[in-house]
Order: sequence, then C-alpha cells, then structure tokens
Amino acid sequence: MLEVYTWEPNANSGKPLFCLKEKQVPFVFHYIDMGKREHFSPAFLAVNRDGTIPAVVHDGFVMTESTPIMEYIDDAFEGPALRPADPFWRWRMRQVMRYMDNQVAPSLAMLASNRLAAPQFQGADPAELKRELDKIPLPERRAAWEKLMFNKTPPADLAESARRVREAIRHFDALLAETPWLAGPDFSLADINVIATFYGLPTSQPEQVNAQATPHLWGWLRRCHARPGIQQAFRLGKGYIGQRAAEARGLLGVEEAAA
Amino acid sequence: MIALYHGGPSGHSASLLIALAEKGLAYEDHRLDLAAFAQHAPDFLAVNPAGQVPVLREDGRTLTETFFTLLYLDERYPDPPLGGADPQARYTVQKWGKYVETHIAPNLAIVDWALRGQTPDDTARAGFERLPSERRALWEQAVTGFPAEDVQTARAALAKAADRIAEDLAGTGWLAGDAWSLADIIVFPHAARFASLGVAVPAAMADWLERAGQRPAVRQALGGQDLAVAAATMGPERGRWG
Repeated sequence: MLEVYTWEPNANSGKPLFCLKEKQVPFVFHYIDMGKREHFSPAFLAVNRDGTIPAVVHDGFVMTESTPIMEYIDDAFEGPALRPADPFWRWRMRQVMRYMDNQVAPSLAMLASNRLAAPQFQGADPAELKRELDKIPLPERRAAWEKLMFNKTPPADLAESARRVREAIRHFDALLAETPWLAGPDFSLADINVIATFYGLPTSQPEQVNAQATPHLWGWLRRCHARPGIQQAFRLGKGYIGQRAAEARGLLGVEEAAA
Repeated sequence: MIALYHGGPSGHSASLLIALAEKGLAYEDHRLDLAAFAQHAPDFLAVNPAGQVPVLREDGRTLTETFFTLLYLDERYPDPPLGGADPQARYTVQKWGKYVETHIAPNLAIVDWALRGQTPDDTARAGFERLPSERRALWEQAVTGFPAEDVQTARAALAKAADRIAEDLAGTGWLAGDAWSLADIIVFPHAARFASLGVAVPAAMADWLERAGQRPAVRQALGGQDLAVAAATMGPERGRWG
C-alpha cells in the first residue's frame, strides 16, 4: 500500500502528488492541514518524528525527504519515466532540484509566509504561540516559525530572498532558452520540482514573469500547466492552492484538461 | 578521460577519490592546496566559479556537487554497483546524500572553524572577494566569527547526526541496504572527523568507521593520510529558512 501524508499541491508538499499523478500511480491521500499545524500533532509525529511534510509510506517503508521521494517514485513504479536516461542530464536534473531546494524555494517560502501567514499571528497571545512553538521537533524549523509568529525576520533577509528569486527567474529563463525542459529534451523531476513552487508566478510576480520579459519561462509554464497529470494534482487541493493554479492557467491561456 | 580537481583525501574530495578507486577508474589528477586557498585562485575559478572542490571533467563537461558527481559516476560506470541494490536502498542513498549537505557538512565547517581560531591572511581575503555573493558571505561570517549560539547549534546537529548514523547502521552494518554504497562513501570522510572535533561517536559508528577504513579502495584513495586532518573549508550554506 502507498500512503501520502501531505498538505496541498504546493512546494515540498506537492512533490509526491505531482509525481504520482504524472505516473498515474494510485495512492491513499492523508490530508495534513498545515494551516492548523497538524504536522506537529502527535498523530502525525507518530509517522514522522521530525514533523515535516510530506511523508510517504510504501508497504511500511517510511520516507520523509521530498526530493529523494521523487526519485523513489520514479524508481519503484511503472509509468512514464520522469528521469533522463543519460547520466549527464540526470546530473543536470539533480543540480536544478538542489538549486531550487536550497536557494530558491526557501526564499519564496520566506517571502510568501511573511506576506500571507504572518498577519494571522498579529495580536495573538504570546504564551499561546510559545506553546505552539514547543510542539515543533526540529530546532531549525522552530526557529523559522518563531521568526514568522513574532514578526522577527530581518529586512535584510527578506531583501536577499527577493534577490534570489529574481536571479532564479533569470537563470531558469536562460536554461529554457537552450532546451524545452529544465533537464534536457524531456519533461523530468526537475520540471516537477520547479513548477511545484513556481506555478503561481504569472499572477504573483506579473512584472517579472510575463511573455515579454521571460519568454522561455513563460512557454515552459504553459507547457507544464497544460499537462493532465499536473492539473489532476492541483485538483487534489482542498484550500486556495487549486484556485491559484486555475488563475495562473487562465492568465497563461491554458485549456482545462479532461478530469 | 576523466579529470579530477580535488583537495586531497579529506572531506568531499575523499568521497570522489574513494569512488574512483572502487571502480578502478583512471583520471588526470589536479590536486589543489586548500590550506593556501588555491580553490579561490583565478585559474581555478575559471573551472568552478563557486570556488569549491571537487570538480570532475569528462567529455568537455564540468560536474560539481560531490554527491551528484558520485551518482553520475555510478550511473555511467555501473561496475561495481554502489548506488543501492533496490529502490529502498537507493532512496536511503539519496537521503544520506541530502543529509550530508543540509545537516552534516555545514555544521562540521562551523564547529571546525570555531576550534581553529584561524585568521586568514591577505591572500586568502583577496580570494574571498572573487567568490559569488553567497560563498563570500559565508567566508565573511567565518572571518568575523560565528556567534557562540550558532556553534552550539552546529554541535548539537552533529551529535544528532551521529545518533542517526548509528541508527541506520543497526540493521545491516551499512548505511543503505546490506552492502557498502554511495551512502557510506558520502558520509564516511565527514564522520571520520567527529571524534577529533569532540563529537561523541556511538559504538556502531566507531565499528563502521573501522570497517570502512580497512577497505582496499579506501586505503588506496587515502594513501595513508588521516581523514581527521583537513584544511578549513566552508560547507554549503545552512538552511536559511528552517
């Protein structure tokens, strides 16, 4: 049995959902409401003691690292290959994913959570917030949530994150000028990793990402959003993520695929 | 022909040297003196602008990032196989590759630097100026000194890493599946430094270090050098948003 414990089709949470839908692998979806911080609940900590999502359990084998999980899904299940056959392009695929995981996605997460999630903590009882923080097992995650809850992210960090996102947009546009997909001629895990975080850029960063400024990235966004597997994964969302993806499709002029 | 730019048998360079020896692959040897910051000299920055070793070149292509280069070698030269015998072992190899990068290497660099109390000379400082902004920021932080709290956090992270290494060794004596693999090869050179940095080494980990060190390919790659002796390097940036 294959079980996926995760939140929305968004960033790390979305990676297994997109991969499984692309390969058409059936699975049991356990929705973990990150907005209610269910990933720090005792029930979820019994699955993953680190309290990070996603967690994927295949016949009792527990996996908690999102990018290695993507490779596992392609490795262990039938369906269209999501990794290039050539070792060099595989190296490129992993480089793109590493750059995204280490540099770009955390920067976008910092910007987005300060804009969207931080306001809900304004005026909350500090003692209550402290109790919430104490439930978070990993010290590095606790430190990030503390900055968010108490509005302590240094402005210089936010500025650096914005710079990194701008740089990434330029970098990916340049890569896509050379090849149709991020790791060569074929769609791969690298594209899934990036679209999982970049899907909403046409609506959230319209001045930076548009058909004139970033034509190659724009074409790639259209090709990703047109894929039935990607659209099916977005339909698994229970919150606002599915709506944001639909808005992006509208702006990109992408047709809705059959359900 | 493979060309390898490396800093000798320590840290990430040791992992690639070991893998090349395991597979019996010949290579053109470019050894850099990391103690003299040769990796920040203009001629090497032309090879890798990030100023980091090891770098592998083959067929006119330049490969960086040790763990991905290890996977590349294993996929291109599958004999003997080191990537894990089944999907679970291969996932575990990937998990350890990631863990070294996010939890072990950056924290090892901080603890090591704090113990050295080294003051870089003018040549070294000039080298930092040539680096991309993220790498330069890391070295500038090192020169200023990491806050005591950061050093403490880094130490705690290494202690936890030692426990997780021992935990994964408990089943078969190796980190991924039932044989020596890239998981062992990527973790080993870093883990071999824990004791000299004052990080407690559980018995299962000590036993594994001993067995790993006895492998013919490891002995060949190390050439008698002690893995605990290494030049100061800055690992990858520690996660900036948790």
